[in-house]
Amino acid sequence: MTHEQIHERLGEWLDGELDGSASAAASRHIDSCAACKSEVFRLRRLGEALFAAPAAADPRSTEAFVARVMARVSADTVSSWEKFAARFLAPAFGLALAGLLFTIYAPRPEADADAPLGVAALSADASSVFEAAP
Amino acid sequence: MTEASDGELARLAADGDDGAFAELVRRHAPRVRALCAATLRNADEAEDAAQEAFLKAHRALGRFSGEASFGTWLHRIAVNHCLDLLRAAGRRRSESLDALLDADSSVLARALTEPSPATTLEDRDAVARMLNRLIPDQRLALTLCEVEGLTYEEIARAMSCSLDSVKARIRRARAELLEMARHFSDSDIV
Ligand SMILES: [Zn+2]
Repeated sequence: MTHEQIHERLGEWLDGELDGSASAAASRHIDSCAACKSEVFRLRRLGEALFAAPAAADPRSTEAFVARVMARVSADTVSSWEKFAARFLAPAFGLALAGLLFTIYAPRPEADADAPLGVAALSADASSVFEAAP
Repeated sequence: MTEASDGELARLAADGDDGAFAELVRRHAPRVRALCAATLRNADEAEDAAQEAFLKAHRALGRFSGEASFGTWLHRIAVNHCLDLLRAAGRRRSESLDALLDADSSVLARALTEPSPATTLEDRDAVARMLNRLIPDQRLALTLCEVEGLTYEEIARAMSCSLDSVKARIRRARAELLEMARHFSDSDIV
């Protein structure tokens, strides 16, 4: 490998990503090349200056973190259930109710004396359900 | 009593067992929080991002096949979430940050040339601003390499890209950062 080829891959060499023979060749070249040697120095410094491991999070704060995540998970679960209910259950319920009312109100040869009372109670319940829905 | 494996807990959690999911959060919180902190460089954003990564994982539990390890699967979700946030932040980045760059690069230039053993730059805001100059994919690849010490192969899997892309991203990110420092050193000499 030439100086240019090795210079281009000094980062890979530093990261241990060159295979055995390429890595050995690069090591030999770096030992004898001032330009590559100083580039390696800068690359190392770059990693240390910008990425040196930040202080690990306090392990005691893990439980607080777990609690915050679980609070969001349960809020998320509730809201997705509500969304599901609003999107599918409410229309389905409405449709069923409409069907029921139609069956009850539909003109029939023999009117059932009990029907109007039952319908009145049912529609009162239904409207309160819909008002409560988001 | 033997401890349940991550895979067992994930199956229980998928069936609605919140206690099982809490245990998964407990086990994996340190790595996910460290990843978000290293990537986003803002304590509040990182904390929020880490919580959101777990929330996303919770929503996706039904799609966790158990083929990969839960940790790897979760890590990929967190990596992608960080990448989304970096991309969104990139679009919001204001031009006024450019004015700060000269001072920042002088800090970096000194850190790269001082003969004494290097230490982490104390000015966290300056570091964040410099990293903000990088393209999100490049920044994230370099972070995974430098902070987590992942191999390029592992980074490729975490970022769902090719090995060649990882090589290019890391090389370009470093070249860009060295260029920032070099630019300052040059203009300083003139
Ligand atoms: Zn050379």
